[in-house]
Parts: sequence; C-alpha cells; structure tokens
Amino acid sequence: MIFRKTLLATVIGATAMGAALLPATASAENTLRMAYDADPVSLDIHEQLSGGILQLSHMTFDPLVRWTQDLEFEPRLATSWEQVDDTTMRMTLREGVTFHSGNPFTADDVVFTVERLKQSPDFKAIFEPIASVTAIDDTTVEFTTSKPYPLLLNLSTYIFPLDSQFYSGTDEDGDPKDEIVKNGNSYASRHLSGTGPFEVTNRQQGVRTDFERYDDYWDTESPGNVDKVVLTPIGENATRVAALLSGDVNFIAPVPPNDLDRIRDDEDVKLVTMSGTRIITFQMDQNRVEAFKDPRVRQAFAYAINQEGIADRLMKGFATPAAQLSPAGYAGHNDELTPRYDVEKAKELMAEAGYEGGFSITMMAPNNRYVNDAKIAQAVAAMLARINVTVDLKTLPKAQYWGEFDDRAADMMMIGWHADTEDSANFYQYLTECPDPETGAGQYNAGNYCNPEIDALVAEANVEVDLEKRAEMLQAVEKALYDDAAFIPLHWQDLAWASAQNVDIEPIVNVMNFPYIGDLVIEE
Amino acid sequence: MRENAMSDTIVPGRWARFRDSYLLYSFKRDLVAQLSLVLFAMLIFAAVFAPWLAPANPYDLAQIDIMASELPPFWIDGADPQYLMGTDAQGRDLLSTILYGLRVSLIIGFGAVLMQAVIGVSFGLMAGYLGGRVDAFLMRLADIQLSFSTLMVAIIVGALVKAIFGGATFSEYAVPLLVLIIGLAEWPQYARTVRASVLAERSKEYVDAARVMGLKSRRIMFRHILPNTLSPIFVISTVQVANAIISEAALSFLGLGMPETHPSLGSLIKSGFDYIQSGSWWITLIPGAVLVILVLVINLLGDWLRDVLNPRLYKG
Repeated sequence: MIFRKTLLATVIGATAMGAALLPATASAENTLRMAYDADPVSLDIHEQLSGGILQLSHMTFDPLVRWTQDLEFEPRLATSWEQVDDTTMRMTLREGVTFHSGNPFTADDVVFTVERLKQSPDFKAIFEPIASVTAIDDTTVEFTTSKPYPLLLNLSTYIFPLDSQFYSGTDEDGDPKDEIVKNGNSYASRHLSGTGPFEVTNRQQGVRTDFERYDDYWDTESPGNVDKVVLTPIGENATRVAALLSGDVNFIAPVPPNDLDRIRDDEDVKLVTMSGTRIITFQMDQNRVEAFKDPRVRQAFAYAINQEGIADRLMKGFATPAAQLSPAGYAGHNDELTPRYDVEKAKELMAEAGYEGGFSITMMAPNNRYVNDAKIAQAVAAMLARINVTVDLKTLPKAQYWGEFDDRAADMMMIGWHADTEDSANFYQYLTECPDPETGAGQYNAGNYCNPEIDALVAEANVEVDLEKRAEMLQAVEKALYDDAAFIPLHWQDLAWASAQNVDIEPIVNVMNFPYIGDLVIEE
Repeated sequence: MRENAMSDTIVPGRWARFRDSYLLYSFKRDLVAQLSLVLFAMLIFAAVFAPWLAPANPYDLAQIDIMASELPPFWIDGADPQYLMGTDAQGRDLLSTILYGLRVSLIIGFGAVLMQAVIGVSFGLMAGYLGGRVDAFLMRLADIQLSFSTLMVAIIVGALVKAIFGGATFSEYAVPLLVLIIGLAEWPQYARTVRASVLAERSKEYVDAARVMGLKSRRIMFRHILPNTLSPIFVISTVQVANAIISEAALSFLGLGMPETHPSLGSLIKSGFDYIQSGSWWITLIPGAVLVILVLVINLLGDWLRDVLNPRLYKG
C-alpha cells in the first residue's frame, strides 16, 4: 500500500516534469504539428469575432485582400479594386478559384458572404458601413457604402468568401445550413468549405484538428510546402514549451513570457517576437453593480491597478503598460494618457463615493485566451483587495468563457481587443459604445458603459476625411474615456511565436497574429 | 480510599504501564522512529500555530504585492530577507503559504481518515460479525466503491457541486468537500481489514461467553471485538493519513481540489508548475519537499507501528 501510493507521488512528480506525449506521425510529407493555447471554438467563421476564428479563416479560407507584414494590402481573391465614386468601390475577383467542395468561386459567393456577415451578431457592427453589395458579373462585385467610408479595404481583409452553394439549403434536422448559432450546434459550426490552402479532415474539439493541403488551391505561386497540419491545443504554458523543446510539435504560440529566454537559448528552436497592438482590459458592469455607475468608483478601480507591475512582473516586460485603448502608432493614441497607479488616491475616491468599507464583486477571466490571463486576473483581484473590494474570481477556458461573456455573467470581465481595421475607431465601436443589438455597437461592451456624447464624436470621426482632424477627434475620445474611467486598460500584449529551426515562420507571422500557414515553408 | 489504595498496588498506573510497555521499549531503540516522530511533531506544531508563526497572512489579498513576485529564497542572490523562502508568482510569501497549506493538507488528511474509519469500521464490524447477507451486501458495496478511483469520485462530486451551487460555493466549502470525497473513496480499506480481524475474533471464547450472557450484538461488536482489532486499525490509519494527504495533493494539482487563493500543498505545487523550468523552481520544489517529508515521516511511523504491533514479529 505504502509503496503503491509512493509510486503515485512519483507519477505526479513525473507528470509535472514531463511533457504531453503526442502521437508523432512520421511521414515523408511535410507535417506542421502546431500547438496553440486553445483551438477555434467553431468551424463557422462568422459565429465569433476572435483571434482564434480568424486564424482558422486564414488557414481554410482566403480573404479578398490581406495585410502584408508591413501592413500593405495584398490582393488575394480580389485581384484589383477601383473607387468608382465617394461611396462605391468595384472589385475584380480572381478567376479559376474553386472551393474545397469543388464549386467554383464567383461574385455570388462574395454577395452571400457579406450578407451573412451583416447578419452575424459579432461581425455586423464592423460591416455596418456597407449599404449593399451587388454582383455585376461573375468576377466583379460592387460595394456601396451609406456614407463615404475610408476603411473599406481594411474591412475587406475580413471578407473570407464562403461557398454559397455548400451553405445553402437545410441540413438533416431541417435547419438552414447558413444559420449562425452562437455557442451552439449549427451545420456551419461543424462543416466547412472554403477556398483556402487547407481542408479540415478531422476535428475533435479541444483535442486536435487535422488539416490537409487542398490539391486544387489556386495560389500556385505560394512558396508554402506544408502538406498536413495537426493543431493540438495545449493549455498549460510549461507543457506547450516542453512539447516544442522535445520535438513533439514544431510550432507553438503563444510563448509564455517567462520561457522566452529558455527558447532563445535553445539551438534547436527559434523565437520570433513583435510588439503587439492587442489591448487587455477589464470592464466594470454598471447594469450588475450599482456602484460602477459612479465615475469615482470606476476611477478608484483604475487608480488601484498597477499596470506597470503586471507588465513588469507577470509579463516579464513582454507587454506595454496601457492607459488607453489605442496603441502607439494608431490615430487615436493620446500621448498624454499614462497609467495612474496610486492606491491612496483610490482609497480617497472610494471614501468620497461612500464606499470606504468596500463591497464584493464577481470577476471572470479566460485562462487560455490571452498571455497569462488567469494570473493577471488574480493579480488584479489582489490589487482590488487594497481598496477593500472583495473579488470572487472564476477563470475558465475560452470555449466556455465567451458564452459567459455574452451573458454578461460577472461584474468584472476581462477582454482583449485587437482593432480589426487596424484603426482606433474599431475599439470604441466594440468596447465602449452604448450597446445596441440592432447595429451591433458595443457587442463586446460588457461594462454596459454608455456615453452618447463620446459615441457621437466617434461617429463624426468616422466620416471625417481630413486625417489630421480625425486623429484629433479620436484622441479626444480616448481622453474622455480615460477621464470617465470607462474601463480598466491593462497593457498591450506583445506577440511571440516559436518553432523548430527548419520551420521558417518569420515571413508568415504578423502583428495581427494571423499566421499565414498556407505560405509556410518547412525546410528539408 | 482503601479500594483506591488497593488497586494502585495491584494494577500499575497508565503511565507506568506505558513506561514498561514494549511500545516504548522498541521506540527507544528505533532511531528512525524517533526522528520521524520529532519531525512529525514539528510539522503538526507548525501547522497548528501557522497563524502565529507565519510572517504574513497569505489569504489576505491586500497584503500581496505584485512587485515582490518571484523572489528567491534567502540563500540565493536577489532575495529579500522579509521573504525567507521567497515568493510565488503573485507575490505571496512562500513560507507563510506553505504553513497555511500544510494546515489545510493535514486537516483534510486527518478529517478524511476519520470519516473513512467511522464508515469502514462500522461496516467491517457488521460484515464480519453478522455475516451472511449483510456481509455479502457490504463487501460487494466495498468492491464497487474500490472500482471507482478517488479521482473519479472527486471529478463527479466536484462537477455536481459546481453545477448545482456554483464555483464560488465549491471554493468556500472545498475543505469539507475534499474530506467527503477522499473519505467516501477509501473507506473499503478499513472495512476489509476490520472484517478480516472480526472473522478471526468472532469464534473466540470471550465472544461466545458474551453472547451466552445475553449481550446485544451491538455491544459485543463495539465493546468486545473492536478493542481487539485496534492494532491493525492503528497501522492502517497511519498509512491512510499519508494516502489521504497525497490524494488531496494530487487532486489539487489537477485543479480539482483547493483553489489557488486558499492553497494547500498540492495547489501550491501546481501554481508554481509554470515556472519550474523558467528559473523560479522554488515555488514548486519547496512545498513539494515539505509534502514529501510529511508523507515520508507518517509512513515511517506507520511502518514502525506495524512492526511493533505485529505479533509474529514480537520478540519481547
């Protein structure tokens, strides 16, 4: 008995040290075995606006245009575009492209896709400026915007044409195949047909997803030579790194900040880092907690959080402490706004608002979505304890977290955001505008913060064509949000990927964190 | 007065009996047992008096400073003398956290064993003494229970509680729940041992005599047979305490036990796991070492007790 249990103790020890052993599939083909912290929550790329889904989109679909590493536009399914007048843009589509199902790609597919995007609860806010899209002929589409809209091309990076024939009709249960069900079980969430470099051959949610290169992929000029991709989610940071170092996988992301040196020092693997633009924030739900309606309480919370401490200690300097949404380089970035950590001031504000004795709140954060998300949430909970706020923290995997987030299930919720259009206005549109299910505004505003004046200023900025004036307006928005403590910004998280030496990831990663796996080269 | 004086002369006092016993005799000659007992007593002392001994209260989030995170223990450069054993990734003082964690681990260990003993001894006595259908039923129940591993019971109970009452309630009642889980999962160990001893005792004359006197079954079981089966119960208890502590650590390591805000030794080991290969090894290894020492001394004491109480090894 004693020895049996001692053995158990040893096994626990060994598990702690060892890595997850993944079945290594040996073959002459080039197989990319990649480990992310989580796998995409669905195969329906319009179900959720998230990094994981967009990474999947870039593997299995192609956008009309995409960003290069230097943030230039690169034609993909659209080969050329011209502005017909202030509100109309005409795009010529690539010929000879087929979907995984064998159906040819035509202008009708683009129309179908944009219309579906405008139905998607998550995407409709960013596609709101598009008034209509029409197919002129098989290879030409025309976009009309309701007002002059300068970011239409930026938006096109999010249009991944779907196979309209494949997604039409009804499935065996009689539900329409193109139905979008959030966190549910729809036909589209289980089946996929795109034009992209890879087809999904097998998927076990949370366990592994297999991809195989699409034989008739249109982009024959792509240098990519990966035949098979096996995506395995590994939630534990240390295990993911160990899996790379032991050769079980040959590409991982994200790389935990405390292991950067270890990977840099290892000769068999390489590390690629970029300073990121994804903001991590906490939102304070005013509909759930009466106290959050008082700007002094929100300011007190903002003063109680030590952004620099988190960036320095938990993120090991692998993040930039933030006091606003827009990262440096964005039009809305306001240099005047700096982190304002001051516990004494926070206590004063709490006392002023009549909450000297504090109160209790619930908090939720994902534990496999952002770098060190659960640890950051714990640290924030500890910081709030200093102003007598008791936090009941729950961290959960992202597959469950987003459902809870959509239900606004806790008083404080964590959310990270990367501007979809690489523009400041996108942050406000999703995170701070008054929530409106009709337009999709404030779709991820779990704080239910609402300030119509700020929203009006954003709307005004969106149609302003003088870029300098527009930047001034956006910076004013940022300042107003800061003064009002609409949310608690934490930091912009940096990006890191690591791979085996023969996997050439440098050219295919980018600041959006959408690795273009289709163009990836594995050297022999 | 007279009666007392008489009994004093005839029967030596408890202390005197203990002083002359083989138990003490063998203990005095067994260095390993002595060392184990000293260490065990120290750990118990540290756990009981943790609130007074610990330099900080690890459960009070307001005392935690993120800027003091991942400081090494005192013998390594860069240490802060305020944190003798260093700090964890959130800036908790590791020494305090270990002391409090030790307390949680011991409470769960002893609590679970008490529960196992109560269920196991009653079932074992009944099965052995009453025999027949009762025996068959209880022992099949034990077999079924043994086929569920502790882990499975923990996952099922944990999931049920979390689904019905929510995660916050689970964290709040984690200690009694873990006692319940580990207690329920391992009572058959007791039941089987006790049943075997009872079967041997049942046919002895003193039991027959008690039965002839017309005593009730319950009285015979608990007052006559039970005292004669105590030595295996003691031995198995030491082993089970160590087992329960390991089980708790394993469950907490897997995230099914104590929450990280109220860490036991197991959850402390888990929380440092991310850092073990990135330099900050102490967050996992120091509580790990404490756990190993605790389980080892309990097992060594149990081994010694088994040797002493085993009549076949009895040399005195």
